Amino acid sequence: MEDRTALAKGIEMTVIRIGLLSSLFVMPWFASAQDMPNFTNDIWPILTQHCIKCHGERNQEGDLRLDSPQAIREGGEYGAIVEAGDPGDSTLFELVTSTDDERMPSKGDPLAPESIEILRQWIESGANFDGWQPEFTAIANASILQDHWAFTAPKRPALPASVTNPIDHFVTIKAEYNGLKLSKQADKLTLIRRLALDLTGLPPTPEEVDRILALPENSWYSTYVDELLASPHYGERWARHWLDAAQYADSDGFEKDKPRAVSAWRDWVINAFNNDMPYNQFIVEQIAGDLLPNATQDNRVATGFLRNSMINEEGGIHPEQFRMEAMFNRMDLIGRAMLGLTVGCAQCHDHKYDPLSHTDYYRMMAFINNSHEAQITVYTSEESNTRDDVLAAIHSLEESVGTKSRRVRKRRRAWEKSLLTQPRPEWEILDLTFDDSSAGGQRSLPQEDGSYLAQGYAPTRFDPKMLAVPKIRRITAVRLELLPDHNLPRGGPGRSIYGTAALAEIELRHAPIEREIREWGSWDKTIFESAIANVNPEEKKLGPEWPNKGEDKRVTGPISMAIDRKGDTAWTTDNGAGRRNQARDAIFTLKHPLELADGERIAINLSQKHGGWNSDDNQNYNIGRFRLSVTSADELPSEITPDTLVEALSTPEKDRSDEQNALIHRHWLTATPQQNELNIKLDETWARHPLGATQLVMMEQDKPRVTHRLDRGDYLSPEEVVNPGTPEFLHALDASAPTNRLTFAQWLASPDSPTTARTIVNRVWQQYFGTGIVATPSDFGIQGERPTHPELLDWLAIEFMENDWSLKQLHKRITESRTYQQSSQLTPEALERDPGNRYLARATRIRVEGEVVRDIALASSGLLNPKIGGPSVHPPAPDYLFVPPASYGPKVWKASDDTEKYRRALYTFRFRSVPYPVLQIFDTPAGNAPCTLRDRSNTPLQALATLNEPLFNECAAALGVRAIMHGGNTDASRIDYAFSSAVTRSPNTSETEALQEFLDKQRARIANGELDAAILVPAGDDLSERAAWALTARVILNLDETITRQ
Amino acid sequence: MNSGESIESPIARRWFLQQCGMGLGAVALNHLLAPTASAQNLNPLAPKQPPFAPKAKNIIYLFMAGAPSQLELLDHKPELAKFDGTLPPASLIKEYRTGFIDPNSKLLGPKFNFAQHGQSGAWVSELMPHFANIVDDVTIVNSMVTDAFNHAPAQILMNTGSQQFGRPSLGSWTTYGLGTENQDLPAFVVFSSGSKGPSGGSANWSSGFLPTEHEGVLFRSTGDPVMYLSNPPGIDDIAQRDTLDTLSILNQQQASRVGDPQITSRINAFELAHRMQTSAPELMDIKNEPQHILDAYGAEPGGSSFANNCLLARRMVESGVRFVQLYHESWDQHGNLKGGLKNNCKDTDQACAALVTDLKQRGLLDDTLVMWGGEFGRTPMVQGDTNDGRDHHPNAFTMWMAGGGFKPGITWGQSDELGFNAVENPVHVRDLHATILNQLGFDHERFTHRFQGLDARLTGVEEANIVREIIA
Repeated sequence: MEDRTALAKGIEMTVIRIGLLSSLFVMPWFASAQDMPNFTNDIWPILTQHCIKCHGERNQEGDLRLDSPQAIREGGEYGAIVEAGDPGDSTLFELVTSTDDERMPSKGDPLAPESIEILRQWIESGANFDGWQPEFTAIANASILQDHWAFTAPKRPALPASVTNPIDHFVTIKAEYNGLKLSKQADKLTLIRRLALDLTGLPPTPEEVDRILALPENSWYSTYVDELLASPHYGERWARHWLDAAQYADSDGFEKDKPRAVSAWRDWVINAFNNDMPYNQFIVEQIAGDLLPNATQDNRVATGFLRNSMINEEGGIHPEQFRMEAMFNRMDLIGRAMLGLTVGCAQCHDHKYDPLSHTDYYRMMAFINNSHEAQITVYTSEESNTRDDVLAAIHSLEESVGTKSRRVRKRRRAWEKSLLTQPRPEWEILDLTFDDSSAGGQRSLPQEDGSYLAQGYAPTRFDPKMLAVPKIRRITAVRLELLPDHNLPRGGPGRSIYGTAALAEIELRHAPIEREIREWGSWDKTIFESAIANVNPEEKKLGPEWPNKGEDKRVTGPISMAIDRKGDTAWTTDNGAGRRNQARDAIFTLKHPLELADGERIAINLSQKHGGWNSDDNQNYNIGRFRLSVTSADELPSEITPDTLVEALSTPEKDRSDEQNALIHRHWLTATPQQNELNIKLDETWARHPLGATQLVMMEQDKPRVTHRLDRGDYLSPEEVVNPGTPEFLHALDASAPTNRLTFAQWLASPDSPTTARTIVNRVWQQYFGTGIVATPSDFGIQGERPTHPELLDWLAIEFMENDWSLKQLHKRITESRTYQQSSQLTPEALERDPGNRYLARATRIRVEGEVVRDIALASSGLLNPKIGGPSVHPPAPDYLFVPPASYGPKVWKASDDTEKYRRALYTFRFRSVPYPVLQIFDTPAGNAPCTLRDRSNTPLQALATLNEPLFNECAAALGVRAIMHGGNTDASRIDYAFSSAVTRSPNTSETEALQEFLDKQRARIANGELDAAILVPAGDDLSERAAWALTARVILNLDETITRQ
Repeated sequence: MNSGESIESPIARRWFLQQCGMGLGAVALNHLLAPTASAQNLNPLAPKQPPFAPKAKNIIYLFMAGAPSQLELLDHKPELAKFDGTLPPASLIKEYRTGFIDPNSKLLGPKFNFAQHGQSGAWVSELMPHFANIVDDVTIVNSMVTDAFNHAPAQILMNTGSQQFGRPSLGSWTTYGLGTENQDLPAFVVFSSGSKGPSGGSANWSSGFLPTEHEGVLFRSTGDPVMYLSNPPGIDDIAQRDTLDTLSILNQQQASRVGDPQITSRINAFELAHRMQTSAPELMDIKNEPQHILDAYGAEPGGSSFANNCLLARRMVESGVRFVQLYHESWDQHGNLKGGLKNNCKDTDQACAALVTDLKQRGLLDDTLVMWGGEFGRTPMVQGDTNDGRDHHPNAFTMWMAGGGFKPGITWGQSDELGFNAVENPVHVRDLHATILNQLGFDHERFTHRFQGLDARLTGVEEANIVREIIA
């Protein structure tokens, strides 16, 4: 269309207008025989422009190709398509003129009437293929991919100098072209409510409305827009759309669907919107914030975007399978949320429509495939301050003990020497075989350093047995090293929610190699005489994180508890926040050395019994990453001396680094009884260390993971190794930059990207108008819908980028347009002409999203707790949903207290397998897949929810009270108050009358005892009146208008 | 504050004046219940005809979540008994992956006796004496195959045709294609019984990328059957009716003012909701069922059981609910195979058979498809130290179908002698889906919904074949 001359455009416009007016349209286009259409000049352009994408080299829908005369003659699954001389009998003609869903082209606009007429005349005149050249086929097929509008970067469209508002310019042209006129401006109150709902997701308060109405006529609008954009609720509102695209939820999904703490990322998004973080930076931080120079906690939290994928910890899963599932999901997230492309289609094979190859897919994945599945501890700024204080206090306590005095120096030298003279036995790292029947469905993945990392399902009480055939045949002691790992909660070394582990008992048995583990009872036992460890917490009752059903005698404490042959007592690595997530070692010495006979092997049971009763919740207390070794040495150390310490001590004093000195100093302080008082102080100080929350993040592995192309997307079918790279049909990657995730992030956020800016401006547009300029918000590819207003889309994208990718500026641009400010009133004519409002000759009435349905009730009743951010909350919900047989496992849904339950619905805790019902009923996605366009259904279950759900009724009661208190002294004024609180306008006379009639009737029924006010509203004064008003407010909160943005 | 949209159409005013004085009685209701053409078009659940003449109009899907052991129930494997306690052939377990056990674990012979039943001579375990009585009405498929061997992905696959979450379930596709006959009740109803819930939760009845109206609605057999069905405390039916009437007046005015047909839909939705408040509890109340029916199912009024849910499923289908899915999650016998299966069969066998018989007696079985099965099968190899458990197994398992145009009295497909692989006429989940859609009147390749640039379908992109031999 863009290439046509102005004259042709003019003709087409006329033609369409005539076509709209008259269904009997016939255009005598070619007047005489010598003017008859020619295939190459007239038909071929139509076919290449409209048909061969689906009927060409790349795809043959219906087994039909239209990219050569031969193919056209052959036809497709319906047989021949052209009957020379007889358009009426030609399937091709029938299909392009069809008015039902058979119509071709199946996507986009129908062929222009003159094109159809050309086709008709061509067939009628004998359908010859004059002037055809065989190379046309290849040229046309190749150019299809080059030509696709979304694969070239947006260009600033030309604008006549007279244009004051480009949005209105483009919209008006298109509307008029389609025979539509823009609607009048909506009235002021409608605009006030529309702006408030669009920009903050909350209705304006009556006081706010009065204030805005009092502002000067020429400036009130922009003042209000600025005010709303500056409101912290703006970030909440627009974060929600991003959370949809990022499939945010507060639980893992799959069978266990355990709660996860990821609200730090959600709050990061809210803050980013509120601070108007440039969108390109917003992308870079979410893909690779951790790789930015001097990455802050916020930078790292941002990468939680890619960790919104689900985690399967069902028993018996293979962790790599579901890590790959998560990787596929991350590719989908990037494709749909950021690139606006259906990247996921190339997971199993070349993309069917877009020029994205199977290899391209894995080359892109290679950029992001090198991350730990990490969970870090995060602190609020308050906690962070406390933490700094604690660390500073500890530092000064440590510094307070001088080493200046000769006496002290002497003692310390003696201590250093004693450590160095500790025996240092040789340890043989055991190569373990895990007994499947006692592993309880947990997988232990071998690591390069001889350790094992527990992943997948976490049984909460089990006796995993590991088999080994040691090379040494005499064993005097066993060493257990617990190692930190980024893939464990808070970095481990355990799998508990704190990254800690508890060992109830260690057992070592031996037996002839042929004896099965199931005969455990008949294996020869050994006895451990003593044990040492470098952490020995005091004996403590087991915390409520690991609940028992019934009485609980279980305790945790020092290492001796792992060899006391009591299952209730366990050694724990947990010595409190700040110190608990580090490597820990224990050495267990046998009472009698074990001499293994020929053909004997050993088995070790690391009994872990201190988890909670509910293994479908986060209640394990398991070892995360560990290494087991044995020694035959008779001389064993009396305390644990880490290798780093030994190395530091072995370095001559003058050559020691500051770090080494500090390490030695710290050990000296804690390891000598002379420092008892100081150690007590240190412990007291550490106890003030904040716990912090957790966040799932991306964290680069030191050693890169090798990425293969996976045949059919099967992780068990790796093909060739692929190097990181981006698809050729998109913009170029910066070749000078290192090939890492950060470079990929910058590529995604590049101004050269043809789809990145267009994708986000289109989604913002979609929120305002119900449908985007491109109706398929996450598919800008060849199969996606073409833009209704391509120039407008480009103009918005260019403006956006040139304004430093500022979303707030974009909102201003859109909201200040006349297009946005139109009335949403529908006429039957408008409904028929443009039912989906694609040409924007009116505003779109939009039933607000689930969260906003709830927020409107909370806000207009005054109950809303406006607190921003923090952990997700648990408003009331039917209990049965969270326990079997509705939920797979029992879930904790501790109803939040009075103020927390009135938080904005954005903060409602989201279990993927049990979505919060009120939100689900109103089409809020469950977070199982990225969602860039919500459904807007209209169902009886929604009516039941707003009528009968307890919290909605609390809102009704509260709104009733407010009407009595603030709504003046007459029924009419109170009705006005309640009504306008919900819909931002006063009721008209008949509305007031209807509500008055309702109110009178309810009053009468309460008075005569038919309704019991004491049940309807909470106890207090004025029961009857409050009850009648609660019922009336309930009507108002259930109005269509209340939950609609007009 | 002044009034907002002051334009009010004469029609609205006239309508309001006419109705309001009358306190909105029957006249207004009739007006509302005869939806305009545009409102009707807006109802995505209006009954629709499929492209081909359907054999089945309704489906009751008895989802035995956790995965029942086919080797103890319906896949008779005498050879497996002979090899009890020996290791499986190495060739069989090459590249075989398991959930919990070492693939090279000993074979475990079937724990219960089988006998042939009915004219068809179908083999049925002693655990299912009631099922044995209906085998001539049933199609047994012993050669089911799936791709997943973990519960959540496999349940999602069985329901949506894909292991990846976020796609529409069979029930959603069904109501998307057929709508529903009874607008007073949800089109797609889900019940859950047993010791756990379905793995993966509500994703199993998700509408995925189809419109959300097609999402399954979880019902409860005790208490409020549908969430928020009861009036709030203190609000009687008159007050509720008054509320709806006033809402209707106000919403109708708004509709006249702004001209949006969605408002008429919402008015209808409120009326439907109100009718559901009556019809759903009536439907759920089984105390008026004759004693012999209650006895046949083993259902108890006021109770909460799989048997009750089976009876409710029949009542739903009878009332025009399109798709009813019953989850019974308790079949994950990694251990306690014998005891667990005995209990589960005690809880389910009688009711399943009664459901088929009851539907048949009422003439409903012809166009109602009853289907039974789990998400995968269980290993011929043992799990655990006490010879009393089996692990997950995707290579061969059993499902059965009754009614809906399936060929009664046949057993289709075979697993090998050890019950390890489906070797004769394997039926992949996709094939089953294609066959079911065929019975509903749809060509699975053409019954599509545009999503992400693809014409997405239940059977996905891989080849799927209708199993012609098992349909009449």
